[in-house]
This record gives sequence, C-alpha cells and structure tokens, in this order.
Amino acid sequence: MYGGLHVPLPLPSESALLDLGREFTPRVEARGPTPVLLDLHGLGRVWPTPQALGQAIVDEARLRQLEAQVALAWSRATALVLARGRPGLTVVPAGRESESLAPLPIALLELDVAQLELFARWGLRTIGDLARLPASGLAERLGPDGPRLRRLARGEDDGLFVPARAPAAFEMTLELDWPVDGLEPLSFLLARVLEPLCAGLVALGLVDRSTHRRVLKPAAPSAEPRTWRTLVLLDLEAHPPRDAIQAITVRAEPTPSRPVQFSLLDPALPSPERLAETMARLHSWTAAGRGGAALLLDTHRPGAFAIGTFAPGPVVPKATEAEGAPRVALRAFRPPLPADVAVRGGAPAFVAAAGIRGAVAAHAGPWRASGDWWDVAWSREEWDVALAASGSGSGLSVYRIFRDRLREAWFVEGELD
Amino acid sequence: MRSTTKSALEDLLRERRLAADAPPLRGEDRRLRPLITGIAPIDALLYGGFPRGQLSEVFGPSSSGRTGLVQALLARSTHGGALAAFVDPADRLDPASAAAAGVDLARLLWLRGPSRYPGPKVLAEAVSAVGTLAASGLFEAVVLDLVGVPEVERRRLPGATWIRLQRVVEDTSTALVLLADGHVASGPGGLSLALAATGPRWSGPPGPGRLLSGLGAQGAAGRHSLRRADFLLRTLA
Repeated sequence: MYGGLHVPLPLPSESALLDLGREFTPRVEARGPTPVLLDLHGLGRVWPTPQALGQAIVDEARLRQLEAQVALAWSRATALVLARGRPGLTVVPAGRESESLAPLPIALLELDVAQLELFARWGLRTIGDLARLPASGLAERLGPDGPRLRRLARGEDDGLFVPARAPAAFEMTLELDWPVDGLEPLSFLLARVLEPLCAGLVALGLVDRSTHRRVLKPAAPSAEPRTWRTLVLLDLEAHPPRDAIQAITVRAEPTPSRPVQFSLLDPALPSPERLAETMARLHSWTAAGRGGAALLLDTHRPGAFAIGTFAPGPVVPKATEAEGAPRVALRAFRPPLPADVAVRGGAPAFVAAAGIRGAVAAHAGPWRASGDWWDVAWSREEWDVALAASGSGSGLSVYRIFRDRLREAWFVEGELD
Repeated sequence: MRSTTKSALEDLLRERRLAADAPPLRGEDRRLRPLITGIAPIDALLYGGFPRGQLSEVFGPSSSGRTGLVQALLARSTHGGALAAFVDPADRLDPASAAAAGVDLARLLWLRGPSRYPGPKVLAEAVSAVGTLAASGLFEAVVLDLVGVPEVERRRLPGATWIRLQRVVEDTSTALVLLADGHVASGPGGLSLALAATGPRWSGPPGPGRLLSGLGAQGAAGRHSLRRADFLLRTLA
C-alpha cells in the first residue's frame, strides 16, 4: 500500500514531509516539498488496518503543526492525486482506484497549461472524463503523453518508485568496558571507529576515487624526462584534477625514433622536445584554435583559410630564391567592416566605416568575382581606393573595399599596407 | 659562392654550439648575421638587416608599407628553412597575402587574438606569448603586431614590458620586431625604423582597367632619422 501526503498551504519546508514520512517508513519519494509518497508495505503488524495507519499519519502531522491531507491506496498515482484533491484522510480499497479518482477535477493531474486548455476545449472537466476516452484516440492526438495521462487518470502506475536517499549520518560510537588513559591504546580504538566510517563514505561515493587521465601526444617521440615533466605540468595546469592527487601512474608508449637526414648547410631543425614544450606553453592560444600554421583552402573565396597544427617538417629545397621585390600586404578586417559608400559616376567617391572615413582620391576597379553558387554563394565587386584620410598627414590610406552584389551592401575588406 | 657557403657553415656550427669554446680566429666575426628583408635600400639603411638578439621596431602610418616590409622579412626567414612567429592580437594577418609575399606558412606560427579590438587581457597574453616564443630560441624572427592597438591600451601594459622582452631575447639568435602605428620601444642594439607613405602607384590614368601597381614608402632610421631610403611594394595583382 502507498500513502500520499500533502500539505496545501502554507507550503511546508523542504524536508518537513520527508521527516514525517520517515517516521513510518524509510522508503519515501519526494519530487518537492509537497506532496510526498510513502511506501507503506509490510506495516500491517503495527497498524492492523489501513484506516488505523492513515489516522496515525494524520495524528503525527498534527503533532508537527501540519494540516496534512493523507490518502492511502494500492497505486502510487491514486495515492498522490487523492492526497492533493481530498482533505483529511482517504483510504481507497484495492480495485477502486479509478472509481475514486473519477469525480476529481482534471487539473489535479500533472498537466501543462497547453494540455489543460486543450482538455477544456474538449469539454473534459473531471479525471473520469479523461479516463473514459479511448487510448488510441489520445495517442493519435497527444502522442505518448495521451496514453500516459489516461493511465494516470485510471489510477495505473507508470515508472518506478524512487525513494529519496536518507541523509547520511557519519557518526559512530564505541562504548568501552573500561576507561582508556593513554594515547597508544586510544589510537587502536580510533582505528576501529574510523575504518568503518571511512568505508561508509567510500561506499556512498562521497570520496572521489576517480582517475584523472590525460594523454600527451608530443609532435615527436622523446626520452627526455625534463621535457616530459614540463609537458605534464603544463597540461595539468591547463586541466587541473578535481581533487588532491593520491597516486600517479605514468604509462609510456614506445615509438621508434624518426630517422632524419640532417644537412650541414640548411638551418638546424628545431628540437622536437623544445618545440613540444613551447607549444604546450602556448596552449591557451592553440586550444582555442587561435594558434597554429595557416593553411590556404583550395577555393577562390576571399579570406578562406584554416588553422592547422604547427609542426614544421624538414626543409624542402626551393627551386627559386625568395622573390626580391616585396609585396603589398593586406591587413584584413575579420569580419569585413560594413561601410557607407557614396558612388559618383559609377565609382566610389566617399567611404565611411568604423574608424575609416575619407573622400576617394584615386581608385582602381571594379573587379568582379563570384563563386560557390551551389553552396553558400558569394558575388562581389572589388575596388582599391586611396582615401585622403584625416590625421594621416599628406599620405593617402589605401583600402580594399567591395560591394556584396547579393546583399547590395558595401564592406571594407582590409587596409593595403 | 664559396664565402657564402663558408659563412653558412660557420653560423651552423655556432648555432649548434660546436665552436662555442674555441677562441675566435684572427679576423673572425662571431656576431650573428642580421636578418635581411630582401629590400635592398632598407637592408642598406639598417646596415644589413634586423639584428638578432635585439628588440627592434617598425612603425608608420596607414599604407606606409609596415606590414609588407615585415612580411618580406618573414618570407626571407621562412624561405631559408627557419621558423618565424607572428603574434597578432588584433587578428589582421591575411594568410593569402603573406603566402603571396613568399612566406612559407607551414613555418610561420600565427597566434591570433579573438577580435579586432584586443583588450588589456589579450595584449598581456600576447606579450607573454612573445616572451615564450623568444625564450624558446626556436624562432629566427618573432613579430608582435600592435598596429591599430590604441596607445591608451598599450600604456596599460607594465612599464618594464619592453625591457623584459629585450632581456629575454638578448641571449638568443631571435630578432624580435614590434610592428606599430608609432614609436613603442627598441632595445639598445635594436633598430627603430620609421616609415612614411609616399603614395600609391597606379598602372595608368584613371578609368576602367586601371590597377594599383604598388605603394611607395620611405624609411628613416637612426637617432634623428637622418638616414632615409625610398622603396616600393608591389601589389598582389
């Protein structure tokens, strides 16, 4: 038999009904301060009838200054709904669950606002109205919630009884036959008390015995203990364990060393250990994808690149020397700056964007480009403009601007420098 | 050719500290060669290039060729097989234009800031990263890009920041270069190169089909900027 226990108002404290329920049974389920559900199976020897048991619960509640509504039934759903819906004590005989729930208002079921409005539109007022509807029709209209609510309305249980965990009291007393007056005999006695107490803590999972496992994969194998120590410390600094460390296990995976053909004339390769150590020190940049080697993507889309791991390989002899004539660099704005551009005679005449403002002294363009029409299309009209920007003396500032032809908007892509 | 090979061999032996204990030979210059940019007028102006083990700076207004010049330095460095790093708190590097300038992107470590407006925290992290990179001794050139960072933000860094970076870099063969809008700092043996824009160059008269062919700039070095050199950066197109 199950007992539903509910205090409508004032709302009881978080544990008031739990404590009251635990006076009768250790198995109490609570999803909030009220109502709570008691598993009252096997109490027939103490309280011969359900009526006596229910009255005992009501009396105990009164002793605690609680005006409790108590319902005893053979299904959990019935006990909970009746406890919420009927004052005083209600005892439902076995097999009469649906009948006892039928006259109660439908709002006593755990329904959300949308479901309440829907049932009101259907003309359902009582739990019995809902219980009488066909399960298949409810399933078609409400999905899995329909049959579940119908079972609830008929007093049929769903799910399992989940008892609340009793507050653990970690206290142990050892009564001695004769007094102890020395520290040494006391230490043996303390051990007898502390060992089961600590075992209880471990059994309840209150002691974190988890393993903090980290895998380090440096760019090159290393047998240098100093390098490994630094790498481990840096990794632990970035990913600290949850608790103090009690034991350490280090497992190494042996890897054959890489044969590298050195050249006397090429610059020395960076020490793999030192490179791994340096990259570990820059973890805050690389982990966020903000550090590494840039990779140009195989696309014409402007500004397309990816960031890869920085792992420079051996020097590949270049066919040509680095070109002597230096190039103009683009200092990109990411994302491009939205701009207001005044156009005169088909060409930009004035550009204004965040931090950039000036009349166009000279320009080149337009250069049209587009692509990726099968995916996220882009189409633009590019101009290089020299602005007589204020504050830069007599020099002109040169920017690359473009008109997004799909969005009909102007942007500043970057500064040519 | 022979002298080039010999000097490369000597540098290599010195880098690997194989000749560290040997006394210098008569006439032997044990100083590491500076990093050249490949721009002849600028290299001549800088007496050979950017010195290693020193904090140098390149600064100038918009479109004065600051970034192009530094990318030329990085291109020379990475093309020769060395590693370089570009610390970019404002996230302004364009990898395509760096690659077009000849930078071997696989040998360039790029650290990007999270947004175009780096706050004091990002700036402090960037300076710390520069210290880490310089102290590692793995990188031939380390560039810290401070262009666009307001002076008020820069001044929030601890006063000893640049002195500390100079101390970090001076025992290494790394050339540390600051890239900025205006003068920031340079080490006692470092260079301070001020650039000024001399105007864009166009491929022809105004009209359709005209190209931006380059940017003209003038560099000035020395205590009173008395030594000057003009140079031209070509466009990507």
